[in-house]
Amino acid sequence: MENELIQWLSQPGLTHYLMIGALLFCIGITLVLTRRNVIMILMGIELILNSVNLNFIAFSRFSVITLDGHLTALFLIILAAAEAAVALAIVLNIYNRFKTIDIDEISLLKG
Amino acid sequence: MSEHVLNSIGLFVPEIILVASLCIIIVADLLLKKRTHAGGWILLASLVLCFFAFSAQSGINTSAFFAMIAVDPFSVFFKVILVISGIFIVLFSMQNKELIPYKNRIGEYYMLIAGMMLGMFLMVSSTNLLMMYLAFEMTSICSYVLVGFTKKSIRSAESSIKYIIYGSVSSGIMIYGMSLIYGMSGSLNIFEIGAALSGLESAPIFSMAVLMITAGIGFKIALVPFHFWAPDVYEGAPMAITALLAVTSKIAAVAMLIRLFRVSFTGVDATGMMAIIPEGIRWDMMLAVMAAAAMILGNLAALWQDNIKRMLAYSSIAHAGYIIMGVVVLTDQGISAVMLYAFMYLFMNLGTFYMAMLYANKFSTESIEGYKGIGYRAPFTAVALTIFLVSLTGLPPTAGFIAKLYIFGAAINAGWIWLVLVAGVMTIVSLFYYIRVARNMFLYKPEGETEPVRFDNFTTAIVLLLLTPVLVLGVYFTPVLEFIKHSLVMFGVQ
Amino acid sequence: MLSDFGSILLFMIAGVLFVAIALFVSKLVRPHRPNADKLSTYECGEEPIGDARIQFNNRFYIIGLMFLIFEVEILLLFPWAMVFQDLGWYAFSAMFVFVFLIFIGFIYELGKGHLKWDLPSPAVPEYVEGVGVVERDIRTEDDEFESDGGLTFK
Repeated sequence: MENELIQWLSQPGLTHYLMIGALLFCIGITLVLTRRNVIMILMGIELILNSVNLNFIAFSRFSVITLDGHLTALFLIILAAAEAAVALAIVLNIYNRFKTIDIDEISLLKG
Repeated sequence: MSEHVLNSIGLFVPEIILVASLCIIIVADLLLKKRTHAGGWILLASLVLCFFAFSAQSGINTSAFFAMIAVDPFSVFFKVILVISGIFIVLFSMQNKELIPYKNRIGEYYMLIAGMMLGMFLMVSSTNLLMMYLAFEMTSICSYVLVGFTKKSIRSAESSIKYIIYGSVSSGIMIYGMSLIYGMSGSLNIFEIGAALSGLESAPIFSMAVLMITAGIGFKIALVPFHFWAPDVYEGAPMAITALLAVTSKIAAVAMLIRLFRVSFTGVDATGMMAIIPEGIRWDMMLAVMAAAAMILGNLAALWQDNIKRMLAYSSIAHAGYIIMGVVVLTDQGISAVMLYAFMYLFMNLGTFYMAMLYANKFSTESIEGYKGIGYRAPFTAVALTIFLVSLTGLPPTAGFIAKLYIFGAAINAGWIWLVLVAGVMTIVSLFYYIRVARNMFLYKPEGETEPVRFDNFTTAIVLLLLTPVLVLGVYFTPVLEFIKHSLVMFGVQ
Repeated sequence: MLSDFGSILLFMIAGVLFVAIALFVSKLVRPHRPNADKLSTYECGEEPIGDARIQFNNRFYIIGLMFLIFEVEILLLFPWAMVFQDLGWYAFSAMFVFVFLIFIGFIYELGKGHLKWDLPSPAVPEYVEGVGVVERDIRTEDDEFESDGGLTFK
């Protein structure tokens, strides 16, 4: 039993990467759902996108031998940067209006 | 290879026009010291040019740029709808009073609309998961900025932060689902995905991937349960942008949903009937439940709203439900019903938003209670608004009735009786809140000022442009049906 | 025989050992004579004043965002530079269009003055008759960036 576990751990394959990806994805979603600071939420979003990157590259390396996955990861990094730039600009504006970046206190619109 | 590229560029002319106009708007904004809506006129001209370029593309059925995008009658139909709504949005923006304090940044505003239109053109025509995601994000990122464009308004700031958080999370979930699909099928091309999936055993991972992709696209359509952003964002955004989100980007996302699900997740079974692949996922049931939930929640929540934008937000959630009914069926009949609905929805919803914008400009109220007596002060626009609302309800003799008739007919033919029952009951519920607006306008005497309000000729012309199709298409819609019949051809689908 | 992961494990162990041994050896040989100046936080010879976690001027963020946008274009340029000779004019013109669009954005930034950084004038204490020495408030009100909440130079 123990030997099998060590064997499994010592030979990293597709499953390992997918599990790390899924873990990152879950951490990202948890951050988004539980944190109240907008910056932390944005970090969670970055984690989600990075988990997707890991998935794409792992699939591209182990199961599908094409460069599509690598290419997608490249574009995803750029998109993540663009999204972060826009999001931070919006957060800056929010700070100027509300003097806080606590998402629970930014709730004038209701109903 | 270079021949293929040259051919592709020939098919890409409308998008190139849009990109060029985007650059021209930026440069013009820098060069022109007088702050006017010059960017708006440039965008308008380029959209009209795009319209003619699309007319030249009718009948072409091919793919371009190494199977990245498809130029087929299906995409051309939706692009024509997008261009028409884009033209109206630009016209609305020129009159939107909320934008006046931002005169020195108005060039950016039109540039972002141009970028968003480009993203939506690519959304309806892309045949590759990466391209779909890129187009989706291009639309999203532009709309995040547009929602927060009136940045000194506290409502706008709040709605933009809510929109970007919901938007980026759901698009992240969508691309995670796409990565799973890529791993299972080994390709990003949706045709190859369809071919690969048809030979595979069903597994829980597929259901998860399909659900995740639906979460991303459903966010753009404002489908329940991915609708939480809609009321807040619609209320906070400038009125023209609210119309853009409620009509244009919603229709583009529906077209993307149809293409992805039709090409990748359906196949032909032994009897020649359409079947779901891989077997046993039942995403049609999932979509049907979402559509029913959208209709119930949207219509019931709209009953309590006093802000007209919030009311229209819930109403547009309900309309997303009606549209998705056609996607649930996904036969030729279902798709053509969706196309007809999109065409009618364009005019009636834009009309309603335009009226709400006019009243916000003139009477500075967005509250339905504040509409009391408007029928006596501005009879023409009040009657027009009533007609748009009647059409949204789906009563004859307006365009909305025909649209609902075809959607319900397609669903009944495919055997979704319970769904049609829900939709029918909810249509009756919707009558209450639409008619409440008309009742406030006509059955109360005006309080305070009573002198009639005049609108200029430009405004009247736009109202007539929107009103005529709503009335005419209610009785004479054969040309549209004919157009849709020719547009049902999707590249790579028999 | 080591597996793939085994060699990574070796690297990790070696990394930890290297740092630990270096710290341990230096602790053995160095003299231990602390005084107040040595224990203070090192800040380029300046006396540290106040908390390190102050709010920075908003303009730092704006410049940072712009840098970010122009920086990621390298990500696309790099793979292109590896292959463009094989792909010929198509790859070349595609990248030309891309760089041109970025260039337009850059021109817009310059033209709108977002890269301008007006330094606040230095705060010179003034002597006012009958009041004494007065320190002027040197915060510049910037309409576009709205630097409220930013760093106040005191």
